[in-house]
Amino acid sequence: MSEPGASTAAPMRAEGPAAGPSIDSERRLPEAPRPVRCAVRGVRKSFGGNPILRGVDVDIPEGAFAVLVGPSGCGKSTLLRLVAGLETADAGTIELAGRDVTALPPRDRDVAMVFQSYALYPHLTVRDNLAFGLKLRKVPAAEIATRIREASAMLGLDTLLDRLPKQLSGGQRQRVAMGRAIVRRANIFLFDEPLSNLDAALRAEVRVEIRRLHDRLGATTLYVTHDQVEAMTLADTLWVMNGGVVEQKGTPLEVYERPRTRFVATFLGSPQMNLVDAVVVREDRALLVDGGGVRVLLDEERFGDALSEGQRVVVGVRPHDFTIAREGAAACTLKVELVEALGFEAFAYGWLRASGPRVVARLEASDAKRVRSGDQLPLAVEPARLHLFDPHTGLALDRS
Amino acid sequence: MRRLFALLLVAAIVSVLPACSEPPSIVLWHSYRGEEERALVELAKRYEREHGLHVELLALPFDAYTAKLQAAVPRAHGPDVFIDAHERLGIYRREGVVAPVGDAVPPEDVGSYEPTALDAVTIDGSRWGVPLSTKCLALYVNDDVPAGAPDVYPLAYEAENPYHHAAVLSAFGGALLAPDGSYGFDDDAAVRSVLYVRELIAKHAIPGDANGALVKQLFASGRARTSIDGPWLAADLPPSLHFHVEPLPVVQETGRRMRPLLTVEAVMLSPSGARRPEARAFARWLGGPEAALVRATEAHQVVASEPAWRDPRVAGDPLLAAFHEQARAADPMPTSTRMRAVWVPVQEAMRRVFRGEDARVALDDGKRRFEDALKPPPPPPSPAPLAIALGALALVGALFAVRRARTPGFRQQLRESRTPYRYVAHAAVVVFVLVVLPLAAGALTSLFAGTRADPRYVGLGNYLAILTARGGPLLGHGSFYVTLIVTVLWTVCNVTLHVAIGVALGVVLSRPVMRLKGFYRVLLVLPWAVPSYVTALAWKGMFHRQFGAINAILSFLGVQPVSWFSHFSTALAANVATNTWLGFPFMMVVTLGALTSIPREVLEAAEVDGATRWQRFRGVTVPLLKPTMLPAVVLGSVWTFNMFNVVFLVSGGEPDGSTEILVSDAYRWAFTRDAQYGYAAAYAVLIFLILAAGSRLLSRVGGEATT
Amino acid sequence: MKRLESVLAHLGVIVGVVFAVYPLLWVVSVALSPGAMSSHAQALPWPESPSLDAFADVLGLRDGHSAVFARQVVNSLVVSLATAAVAVAVATPAAYALARFRFVGKTWGTRTLLATQMFPAVASAVPLYLLLEAMHLLDSRAGLVLVYASTAVPFAIFQMRGAFDAVPIDLEEAAMVDGASRAGAFWRVALPAVRPAIAVTALFAFMSAWNEFILAATLLSRESAFTLPVVLQRYVGEHDTAWGPFAAGAILVSVPVMALFYVAQRQLVAGLTAGGVKG
Repeated sequence: MSEPGASTAAPMRAEGPAAGPSIDSERRLPEAPRPVRCAVRGVRKSFGGNPILRGVDVDIPEGAFAVLVGPSGCGKSTLLRLVAGLETADAGTIELAGRDVTALPPRDRDVAMVFQSYALYPHLTVRDNLAFGLKLRKVPAAEIATRIREASAMLGLDTLLDRLPKQLSGGQRQRVAMGRAIVRRANIFLFDEPLSNLDAALRAEVRVEIRRLHDRLGATTLYVTHDQVEAMTLADTLWVMNGGVVEQKGTPLEVYERPRTRFVATFLGSPQMNLVDAVVVREDRALLVDGGGVRVLLDEERFGDALSEGQRVVVGVRPHDFTIAREGAAACTLKVELVEALGFEAFAYGWLRASGPRVVARLEASDAKRVRSGDQLPLAVEPARLHLFDPHTGLALDRS
Repeated sequence: MRRLFALLLVAAIVSVLPACSEPPSIVLWHSYRGEEERALVELAKRYEREHGLHVELLALPFDAYTAKLQAAVPRAHGPDVFIDAHERLGIYRREGVVAPVGDAVPPEDVGSYEPTALDAVTIDGSRWGVPLSTKCLALYVNDDVPAGAPDVYPLAYEAENPYHHAAVLSAFGGALLAPDGSYGFDDDAAVRSVLYVRELIAKHAIPGDANGALVKQLFASGRARTSIDGPWLAADLPPSLHFHVEPLPVVQETGRRMRPLLTVEAVMLSPSGARRPEARAFARWLGGPEAALVRATEAHQVVASEPAWRDPRVAGDPLLAAFHEQARAADPMPTSTRMRAVWVPVQEAMRRVFRGEDARVALDDGKRRFEDALKPPPPPPSPAPLAIALGALALVGALFAVRRARTPGFRQQLRESRTPYRYVAHAAVVVFVLVVLPLAAGALTSLFAGTRADPRYVGLGNYLAILTARGGPLLGHGSFYVTLIVTVLWTVCNVTLHVAIGVALGVVLSRPVMRLKGFYRVLLVLPWAVPSYVTALAWKGMFHRQFGAINAILSFLGVQPVSWFSHFSTALAANVATNTWLGFPFMMVVTLGALTSIPREVLEAAEVDGATRWQRFRGVTVPLLKPTMLPAVVLGSVWTFNMFNVVFLVSGGEPDGSTEILVSDAYRWAFTRDAQYGYAAAYAVLIFLILAAGSRLLSRVGGEATT
Repeated sequence: MKRLESVLAHLGVIVGVVFAVYPLLWVVSVALSPGAMSSHAQALPWPESPSLDAFADVLGLRDGHSAVFARQVVNSLVVSLATAAVAVAVATPAAYALARFRFVGKTWGTRTLLATQMFPAVASAVPLYLLLEAMHLLDSRAGLVLVYASTAVPFAIFQMRGAFDAVPIDLEEAAMVDGASRAGAFWRVALPAVRPAIAVTALFAFMSAWNEFILAATLLSRESAFTLPVVLQRYVGEHDTAWGPFAAGAILVSVPVMALFYVAQRQLVAGLTAGGVKG
């Protein structure tokens, strides 16, 4: 029997890049969906007294590709399901195309959604899976056939139309799930971690295809993921969520370069940003942070007012922002435990202090050859690349 | 799928359409079959032809006959007339099923009936039936087998059957029930009669534990020269057999002739039928000489109508004549309702004696059990305490409901419940009305004693009696607690075997390389497909001490034959074997289903990790099977706990009622011990409470399984 | 090694098959024997002088009762199929609600459902009779079907609930996003996904009605409406039992069930897969 769970649960063996034709995004759809604006205002939701969303605002302009990213349990999927109408909000409103849809069931919202499990109907062939939503909406049969033809050509599903989901590979199922959304020509596309059941190579491939599809179709898209690579590469606008609130919103680069909270700083970027506890000191009229083995001059233009002498701060440095210091200019010294060489770059793992946190620094591949485990490696940081956070609130310390 | 649905729907609609039928003029119910039924059909046709009145016949299975009459007649859904044995008149009178026949036996007819037969249907000066025929035991003699032939039983009869033994007992001057309604099977005559039969069995003069089918076979095959049996045997004997029937012999020890119990079959009138002159007229005609002649010649009935015997075709039939003669020397079965409570204690006592126990002790026990079963119900207490308790309970419930309703978010929950309520509403209504209500009403009867027509409120008296083992020792014979222990033992043995065999076969059958899987699967579910009321009897036959297949296999293997139903352990084993056979296919199918949901990778991973087959089974398969199997095991345990028909059909409680389980005991109280429905209902409620507590415990131990 | 294992596996299963089939062979042997059971102790169920008379008797071939027998077969089929249909129709939405929704009274209702399985029906026949009388359903097949179906419903609900539990909720959500209502998602997606479980549940309900005789005999009062087991039970008399026809009838009665089993066995295995009888 085609067990519904089995068709979706385990990651499937991926077919090689040559196995299926890739998405033909050059083909134009004769009637592109009308992109709409999606606005979520002050939405709250709790399950059994357990708050999941504590007042969230999200505003996606027409045709934008918005990504909700965050760790599991942060509420991003719940928010997506609220937009889809699969859950009802305890408070707040949801607007699509300027229309308040908060109380509407999913079918009256005209949204299309790709599920993490793909949710292909196990008893229907690929063709019927694609046609399902259209038949429900009483689209004429000829029109259905046209749309299926177009979508399956776009996604390379032509030869699979008469198969059942259980006869498809993981990647093929994923494409059917997308096709089901595409034929709908809905107001807004919702993606719920659509790539998490694919293996790494296929995931990268489909990721690119999703973005190209979006550019082709121009539909407003809300995409939920916990994968920062997907978030960074796909988004026009990124919403980083944690603990039921939006921690930061912005373009991927903005968010990466100017994280507004310690959480956002550590959540994005790989390897993670290094964090060290330190104290602000003033020496020879210059402002420095000192502690935990780090001693760095601060850019007074940037931090000036926000800091006071003797204030405890958390210093954040991305591994990529370390450079090997010239003699005497070292901000800190890394006692190297292990060097991980990736060929084009390398990462040195170690400690600044025996009792301190573990610290990672990126090295040029050429430099890495000279570094051995046990070495004392002097490292420098450009003051502009430094991030300071309040140890209590976790907020970035910044003049702005 | 859709076509299947359509088919089912059509079937549902057809079933709702009433089957059309003409309104019958007179309705007659009976449980005749074979030639007796054919004769009755012919008579009904003749009556319609000659008197212009249609008689609608309904033939019912004997097993459902009495219960149906008791359910239907008091509600005026019963027949006008029905045919039954006179010994059930007592219970029928008590339950309002039967009415006096009035002018169906007018004074001028009195002389034309066999006096014994007419006496049998006369109670308290009224006649309650028109006698049709008499049935009693007589002696069949095989004329081809010479007396004293080797390897031939001189006599075969159902020695352990109290109905047959009553004839022997009469030769010793005893009776099962004394005329005053007291228990009769405890006097010297009884002791001597049982010891006499024990002696005959020991001398191989008669076969021990023979049932009707076996006696028939022994006599028909010439392996028994004579047989004590009723008129029903003759129809089943092969035509080639030369035999005759004669009155029961004299017991040499006492010099007295055996007198069998006499059953008089009679047309009885339901209260509504008795009010209809045409029903009374038909009853009179059916008992009269004209119809009697047909019944005698066509159905070989020993008719109670004297004029019919003047016809040479009747008088000249040696078989009929012999039974007719015997009937004159027979004692009508008592009609007292107490008679119903006699059979089981007598049979238990006889079996104990035949197994070698002391006769005096066994018979005295029998008397005690009889009197215990008929102990008058406790005096009716004031209903006030119970009403107060129920009121308090309702109040607590209401308080609880109010508190729940005032918890924050309850209104919200209730609002959200509206959609699901639409899905569950019809199931809730159907289950509540047709399952819960009847069960609750049944439970309510546990507060009453006495008959259905005349219930007496006894409060918790029934429960008190059960829980105090009716005043006897708490761990004495047949006490609630002993039966409970047996029931638990029975359930544990069965469920363990069901699961063990089911899982073992399921695991083996799910091997990917297994050939002939489908073939095996179909053969293995066969025990589930064949009606269990037949297969359970087949198992009982297989466990027969002398002629059963199991002992035949054992003796082939050089093992001494086992007397399966003489010891508690072997009798329980026989029950468990039968029920295991009936139940393992269900567990096997559940296992097969559950196994397919275990991903093969997990087992392969364990294999790579170096686990042996057994370790893989214990470490991977069993824990992964558990969540799916546990609910099936819980339900299976509940069903086994209440599986009364296997115990009923296989061991029948033997030896000495010790393999009885709670639910079969409840059925005995309802149907063989003077119809104490209230007492049986109290058993049912206690069983329910035990199971509810047990399943809560089990799900607490084994994880959330049932809710 | 593998070969040895395979041989052992077949051996084990064959032992099981012998255990399962051997008692049935006795039933067949009795059905084929013109007399009663054998009076010789024998290990092999071989009839002494086999004949098909008992089968002919049951089928009414010897006394021209074939038409009656055929009508009773039809009655049994109609009642059992209707029971299956009603039980499935009643239990499926309820099971779906139990699997998918939270609602006030759910726990309490589930416990009541389980409780009905624990209560011996020893004293409930008369209340049931009165109830059907009040509903004017006495002596009608509809009443009988209702009674059978209602007793089959609790188990059917447990069974179907397990099946629905095993269906990922994503499927219905996808359908709702695709434009289906809640009920539409149930009909178009959840229901087709549990087809095997429906087949199995229907089979169980069918069987419970197919083999029942006490209630059928008590609630029906027209011979034309009787089902097969009622007729079969008539071979058991007060003083003697016609073993041959009784056994032959049992075999005939179980033939359609076996056929259904054979057809349904793949569904049976898979249907219980989809969650088994999760309570």
